Amino acid sequence: MTVSKDSVARRTVPRLVVLSGRLDGRAKLGARARRALGRRGRVELFLAFDDAVSAYALIDLADRVAGRDVQLAAYPVVRRGIPDDPAMEDKRSYAVEDAGRLGRRRGLVRTRTRPIAPEETAFLAAWVAAAPATPARLRFAVAAAERLWFADADGPVDRDAYAALWRAELGGDPLAGDAGDRAVRANERRMARRGPYDTPAAWVHGQWFFAQDRGPQIAARLDDLGWTVAA
Amino acid sequence: MFALPERYDVRIRFHGVIPMAMRGQAVPRAKRVNTLRDVDREARRLGLPFGRIFDPIGEGATRCLAVSEHAIDVGRERAFVLAAGRAIWAEGVEVATDAGLRPVCEEAGLDWAACAAAIEDPALAARVDANTQALLDLHHWGVPVTVFGTDRFWGQDRIEDLERALEDAGLRR
Repeated sequence: MTVSKDSVARRTVPRLVVLSGRLDGRAKLGARARRALGRRGRVELFLAFDDAVSAYALIDLADRVAGRDVQLAAYPVVRRGIPDDPAMEDKRSYAVEDAGRLGRRRGLVRTRTRPIAPEETAFLAAWVAAAPATPARLRFAVAAAERLWFADADGPVDRDAYAALWRAELGGDPLAGDAGDRAVRANERRMARRGPYDTPAAWVHGQWFFAQDRGPQIAARLDDLGWTVAA
Repeated sequence: MFALPERYDVRIRFHGVIPMAMRGQAVPRAKRVNTLRDVDREARRLGLPFGRIFDPIGEGATRCLAVSEHAIDVGRERAFVLAAGRAIWAEGVEVATDAGLRPVCEEAGLDWAACAAAIEDPALAARVDANTQALLDLHHWGVPVTVFGTDRFWGQDRIEDLERALEDAGLRR
């Protein structure tokens, strides 16, 4: 009986991928160490403002993280997805449809019905990426995402309205110039290092999840790592 | 998905399609890794067997798709699809070989001679091609996709939304 290299690879590679994904001791030790040092847990959410399901994920995760000693860090990106993906436009359209369905789970009504071009919301990504990661920045990101997909109608994105929202949450004006674009590129590189190739993706101490699909599982992971909701 | 008719007055029409990786679509390493790990987490959460895998892409998938079309014709698609899924993803069965596939077919109540003929049947292969084209005509790229009326539900994690739509349509038994 001969066993080909192909057969061995088909049998062993997927099993190794699965088994290596179960190795979680380092994350659990790290979580314990962080708490011992008085540091908070961390969820990194890679999102795109032009992505309707990113809006849902951001709103949903902000709620799930609230009450835990955990920072939700929003990392907006503009470039995302599989390079040269022939299904890209279909995915963007379906995301709008899907966001309507997901929004209903939270009592939100999706108001836009068509995709937004990435360049139309790139300014929002730049503003958020360039600002310090404060609770006010997160509040702005959540409010902007909600407004964009669950309040605004189809049509151009009103930059002035979002600038007013920025001033209301953070005071002052958002950072202008290249710094924002550089910060977005840095976020995109960080997303690639963490593993995700598209948004919305949440990295939670060594594991990442598509955040629009796995909200309860992300909360369960935080519980598992010891960052439970405060009583 | 196959359990829905127990709760709703619906019939499931199964359409097996050619995997993305066999349609010339790019499947980056990060996607392949994440899919396996995500399914593993979900399987453990739901108490489903998973992890002893034998990658069926290529001949294995093609043979299973042909047999599933035959299974539809004899009313055994639920039994076969579930048995094949378990064999590939939880029992490490090499369905590209007769020695691997035959017990799976027989477990599903299918006659092996008929299954072997189905694997060679160009009409069944054409049905799989038509299923795949139908998926693309829906402007969808991956699986599982469920269609109810004009609504498309992509992913096993949208079954709850599909169920809501079935409820709204008054189809609860």
